Amino acid sequence: MPLGSVLFAFVVGALIVGVTGANPFSAYASLICGGFGIACTQGENPALQISSTIVFLIPLITTGVAVALPFRAGLFNIGAEGQLLAGSMACTAIGIKFNTLPTPILLPMVLVGGMVAGALWAGVPGVLKATVGAHEVVTTIMLNYVAQWLLRYLIIGGPLQLGPGTSKSLPIGDGARLATILPASNSLIIFGLPSSVFRVHTGLLIALAAAAAFAFLLWRTSFGYEIRAVGQSQKAARYAGVSVRRTIIVTMLIAGAFSGLAGAVQIAGVDHNLTDKYFSDTTGFDAIAVALLGLGSAVGIVLASILFGALHSGGAIMQSDSGISGNLVLVLQALILFSIAANFVGQIRRLLPGFGKPAPLPPELPPAAGLMSGAAATPPEVT
Amino acid sequence: MSGLGDILHLLVTANLWQATLAAAVLLLLPALGGVISERSGVVNIAMEGMMLTGAFFAVVADLAWHNVWLAVGVAVLAGALMALIHAVVSIQFRADQIVSGIAINIFAAGLTVFLVNRIYGLQDVGHVGQNEGIPYINVPGLDQIPFIGKVLFQQNVVVYIALVLLVLVHVVLFRTRLGLRIRAVGEHPQAADTAGINVYLIRYSAVISSGLLSGLAGAFLAIGVSNTFVPNMTDGRGYIALAAMIFGKWTPFGAFVACLIFGLGQAIYDNNSIIHISPYLLSMLPYLLTLIVLAGLVGRSTPPAADGLPYVPGSE
Repeated sequence: MPLGSVLFAFVVGALIVGVTGANPFSAYASLICGGFGIACTQGENPALQISSTIVFLIPLITTGVAVALPFRAGLFNIGAEGQLLAGSMACTAIGIKFNTLPTPILLPMVLVGGMVAGALWAGVPGVLKATVGAHEVVTTIMLNYVAQWLLRYLIIGGPLQLGPGTSKSLPIGDGARLATILPASNSLIIFGLPSSVFRVHTGLLIALAAAAAFAFLLWRTSFGYEIRAVGQSQKAARYAGVSVRRTIIVTMLIAGAFSGLAGAVQIAGVDHNLTDKYFSDTTGFDAIAVALLGLGSAVGIVLASILFGALHSGGAIMQSDSGISGNLVLVLQALILFSIAANFVGQIRRLLPGFGKPAPLPPELPPAAGLMSGAAATPPEVT
Repeated sequence: MSGLGDILHLLVTANLWQATLAAAVLLLLPALGGVISERSGVVNIAMEGMMLTGAFFAVVADLAWHNVWLAVGVAVLAGALMALIHAVVSIQFRADQIVSGIAINIFAAGLTVFLVNRIYGLQDVGHVGQNEGIPYINVPGLDQIPFIGKVLFQQNVVVYIALVLLVLVHVVLFRTRLGLRIRAVGEHPQAADTAGINVYLIRYSAVISSGLLSGLAGAFLAIGVSNTFVPNMTDGRGYIALAAMIFGKWTPFGAFVACLIFGLGQAIYDNNSIIHISPYLLSMLPYLLTLIVLAGLVGRSTPPAADGLPYVPGSE
């Protein structure tokens, strides 16, 4: 089903490109070149494109996990973006304040600081959901915007601003930075380019560890069992002795910690300061597509992150090579979401007899579909 | 210079309240759309995307045909078309309505910029001519009333339309058979179906109405308040409208009160030269207030019972 959804999106995307009078084949060729470094026509360096894709996919894995984990508990975390921003703000604030500390102390501090900030940002919706039944979709949306405006305040006129008239923060201390995987040298030539242009950083290992931790937590711990039990049926979980309230709150805290980590790693590994680029960051929304396309599994999330990382990296090349706006990537992403949610592929197969077996209806999704039901209106009972 | 005194002085100026009402209407239209859609049982977080689409096509049509009413019509249709996608995906295909809403918003953000690039190349979209925006009209006679005249009767045409729509939506929802049917479908679709109400028809119409209203709001933003299209120009207004809908407990007038509060914040923000708080901190207020309401500190806000549940005919 996921591959079908991607195919569906690319076919409809090609139609949109074609209808507006451009050549979809050259658009997709440059998209693939930008994403995977293959079939390039304008002399792009394949290694550089792959490096760019990896840099993009790192935060997608971690935030994808932050969306997928609550899914398993029947919670829809639309707030990964706000949690990520909270993490990046905390990381930057700590990295500036203690900029003289050495790496072994400061790096853990900024990463843990980011996780704590993200956890708090997700904890509020968790507590509101568990106590008064406030719907987490709405509360996380609100907190996304609170985080965005807080970010603007901090770096425009606020305490982290680099200087008057700028819209970026001071840089974090050297001790707060994650190393790149290749040495950051201008004289060392790798793949025909100075090694410093390859920005892949050790955050990749952190992201992969996050995906592994997610899988371990979900399938190998008793809390993971509780998360899944609550996601299947709150009532049944309660009869089995699971505290639904506690599970909801802790699940959101952990999810927020993952998103916050993604934000902290982005600052520590790539940007080293907050900039206005973060105003229009969409990682936390891409994460929803990543989690759905990855069917909520760790391996699926990593694979979906590779796809979306490649799309982001490819979008820039598509724009410069074939003159098609990189925003086509957003269109493709939305089409993938529509297709997964509505199970278009299954529907088409149902309509064509003899074309595989009938697909189930309604679509098999992580248990997000039922979450607007009674659970939204009534808080979980006290056990 | 005392900050508080300045704010108090600002609060008694008619200019501020005139701006407040205009800003509130920009939120009210999508909020009314949200109320209608969710009252029929379809969760709608897609007002942002429908509004953005409306804004874009209003500018495109106005630049192409130099006819403002044609442009408004195109914007309203464009919003409705986006809503139709949401309706097909979430009613017909019974998809998760939140995922569909997110997809609409991403789709709109991507498609509008993609089309700007296809239609206008890498340049700016261009500006709508001075006389080709949605006009401001002073109501003769009434606009001379001190204070109230300026606030209520020296406004954009869309403001008047929105206030009429506000009353209309309220009356339809709570005083007519149609409204009763919409609410029945949103509370208990199975029972409504048994009573002979066409659940799908009601839900389709309700979702499409939300697109019409959001598209109108987009047109007001792009060729009324502003005179061009810039990427992502709705800037979260569709989400503030969503907040207003919840804040107002899924009622038109409740949502309007919330829109006025948020609109006042916006108007003060625009006058921030005399306010000594960072405008960015002020911008958080609508969202924080909504969180407080959701936390139950100002009374509970409960959605319609079947909100978000796809209807499967013949199901329990």
